[in-house]
Amino acid sequence: MDGSLPLVLLVGSLLFAAVVAVYVVLDRTPDWGLLGFAAVIEAATLVTLVVAAVQVGGVDLHGGALVTLFGYLVAGLVLLPAGFVWSLAEQSRGATAVLLVAGLAQAFVVVRVMQVWPS
Amino acid sequence: MSDRPTRSASTRSGLGRALIAVYGVFALAATARSLVQLGTKASEAPLAYALSAVAALVYVAATLGLAEVGPSPRRLAWAAVGFELVGVLTVGTLTLLDPEYFPDATVWSDYGAGYGWLPLVLPFVGLAWLWRTRPQNA
Repeated sequence: MDGSLPLVLLVGSLLFAAVVAVYVVLDRTPDWGLLGFAAVIEAATLVTLVVAAVQVGGVDLHGGALVTLFGYLVAGLVLLPAGFVWSLAEQSRGATAVLLVAGLAQAFVVVRVMQVWPS
Repeated sequence: MSDRPTRSASTRSGLGRALIAVYGVFALAATARSLVQLGTKASEAPLAYALSAVAALVYVAATLGLAEVGPSPRRLAWAAVGFELVGVLTVGTLTLLDPEYFPDATVWSDYGAGYGWLPLVLPFVGLAWLWRTRPQNA
């Protein structure tokens, strides 16, 4: 897996979390811009998952590490949609902050994927 | 917009929503981690992996309780978050005294230092939130 794809995903996830933090501070509710941003991250995660699935045969990765890798990648697909569902059900600062949690968790997932993938 | 609760405030409203999100992430992560450990190398460190499974159940219970799922969610949340606090303090202290107790890391090892100390902070926040939103008379 080319190292630049997960790196872009990581930066994107952190940037998303930073933007949400600004929303929380300003007490703004999530809008279409934020949803679009999340959709781009979601698409990039899906691409990463596909690339990993295609290239995993060529690297030394077995057993628990293999399950861990794809576990994290699938979690990366679930986090943001679940975060939006949970967040949009209420309009409050705390509800918007749910997306901050989701963005940071997404970044953590990407870091773990980068650690598990043999370089 | 103030999220200060009035009488018998919801635990899943306002700040609680973000708190539940954090608990949800921990529940998901701990459950997945536990399943991988038990599924691939259960015999290597049975105590540590059993503990991982317990921790996973505790986080799931805390998430459900705070999210007001089930018949008496507040009681469930108090019990789960309380257990979580005892768990992280006990396991954290044990791993500090003698690392041999848990040869493979658990979420509560070293007071959750491996997870940015969040496992240590989380139960305090959870208990504070339950206390703040507690039902009040009149």
